[in-house]
Amino acid sequence: MSMSDEAAAVTRQRRPAERIRAVVQTRAFLLVAVVALFIVLVALAIHQGVGASRLLSLAAWGVMLGGIIGLGSIGLTLVYGVLKFPNFSHGALVTFGAYFTYAFMAWLPESAPLRPLSFGWTFPVALVLSMPLVGLVALAVDRVVYRRLRRQNAHLVLFAMASLAMAFFLRSVIYIVWGPDFHFFFPGRANPALELPFNIRVRADQVFILLLALAIMAGLYVLLERTRIGKAMRATADNPELAQVRGINTERVIAWTWLLGGALAAAGGTMYGLSSQLRPEMGFWLLLPMFAAAIMGGIGNPYGALVGALVIGVTHQVSTAFLDPTYGPAVAFVLMVIVLLVRPQGLFGREGG
Amino acid sequence: MPLLKAEGVTAGYGDTEILRDVHLEVGEGEIVSLIGPNGAGKSTLMKTVFGLVHPRQGSIRFRDTEIAGRSPYDIVKEGMCYVPQVANVFVQLTVEENLEMGGYLLEERELAGRKEQVYELFPKLRERRRQRAGKMSGGERQMVAIGSALMLEPALLLLDEPSAGLSPKLVDEIFENIRRINATGLAVLMVEQNARKSLEMAERGYVLAGGQNRVEGSGAELLNDPDVARLYLGG
Repeated sequence: MSMSDEAAAVTRQRRPAERIRAVVQTRAFLLVAVVALFIVLVALAIHQGVGASRLLSLAAWGVMLGGIIGLGSIGLTLVYGVLKFPNFSHGALVTFGAYFTYAFMAWLPESAPLRPLSFGWTFPVALVLSMPLVGLVALAVDRVVYRRLRRQNAHLVLFAMASLAMAFFLRSVIYIVWGPDFHFFFPGRANPALELPFNIRVRADQVFILLLALAIMAGLYVLLERTRIGKAMRATADNPELAQVRGINTERVIAWTWLLGGALAAAGGTMYGLSSQLRPEMGFWLLLPMFAAAIMGGIGNPYGALVGALVIGVTHQVSTAFLDPTYGPAVAFVLMVIVLLVRPQGLFGREGG
Repeated sequence: MPLLKAEGVTAGYGDTEILRDVHLEVGEGEIVSLIGPNGAGKSTLMKTVFGLVHPRQGSIRFRDTEIAGRSPYDIVKEGMCYVPQVANVFVQLTVEENLEMGGYLLEERELAGRKEQVYELFPKLRERRRQRAGKMSGGERQMVAIGSALMLEPALLLLDEPSAGLSPKLVDEIFENIRRINATGLAVLMVEQNARKSLEMAERGYVLAGGQNRVEGSGAELLNDPDVARLYLGG
């Protein structure tokens, strides 16, 4: 208590420059900065003659993209929370998720599409099979590489480099097994846009992606807040040494974290594949927005990562109204830089952390 | 038979050796105080007993079971809990969740009853149970930390500087709480800066300096020892 009193006394005596910095680093200021950027994007789009219904459609797609990015970034942020290293191979898990679903669909019998969706019952079944399998891949990588490094008390830089190496390795596996060509879950099958109010053009598949992402998030919330293992994950992310002291087997918690992170990445990858196509680099290109979302939400905070992902998804899509879509990653990058400059601990990080 | 018996313990971090041939004993229901100057190795000894630092040599027995070299999450099961000096609560979790993590090894049905007992000991925690531990004051955090450590009904509680950074009024409150906890039959091993106060309360004490045992005896003996008073109790 005496320490916080001292801190308060120091605050009162701050110079103007420090006071300005203190204001700039607040959560409110970061929110204002993000909203301002968004308004600028919309204004630019309107200036270029983009109609309101097109903007609304883009925003709806952005929410869907946010769901995909969010599923990936939750795993990233959970792993960071528990193991404290940026896992650059997380993108490869996203790719694996999409390709495993693709492989399972080839193995399952063909099914008639459930109109207006473009896919039949085999797609969700393949997804459900793919999720735990990618979780196991993530766990296997941990057992072979990261656990070994943990036992040697390796430096965090070494973890990051090892994960980068694993990213390239796993991507090579994709190339070897499935080749460099694009794949589609359903080649040549049309999925026309639905007729919605305000002339918003959204495909049924996109609505499915969004609903599934929301359902998975709800399940995740229940897992983290209500179950023993979920609470242990949050506790381990908060303070691994104390978790051990309280009787939590942190190695087991780490294993569950990989399983969960891998499964969520698989869901994200499969949905990304459904919304566009399967490419060996698909996860690698999602890595930047996933990191940006995790950082924006306060790294280690899964709910923050979801909010960050929605902001990035919507901003990205709305920017395509007037920018070439290939500049999309730049939007995520700009947002990440703004957060790192203004408030490195993110929207939901601790004050002064 | 003592509850805890450490003999010939040598331990350290990396190339640095911090403890050399240290011994320590805690009996059932005893309060034992560990004092000594900064850097004497008091906290390291606590961590070594609890498996956070593995001893290079020596034996640590709890109720006749060798625990040297075992992991903290494993040692907890034997009936010993530890409250670290810093970062001793999960700041992102609520008070109630902190207690639940303290009782992580309990069955679901035992959990509610134990929480109730801790809330009876610290009624303030019941009022604040939905609050995040990180938003609490130093004194309240210390209660959360001690409360979590009591969830498993340990036979021995290790407290590392429980009064560090607290105002004099809160220090008295913490010491009073330790006395109350001890009165229920729990043995307490504590490291304290407030050496005089902790020796007044303790049955026995050990003076550690330079990573080695220096003096030991009953609380009163150490308080009245002129050398101990001059060197470690500030005159």
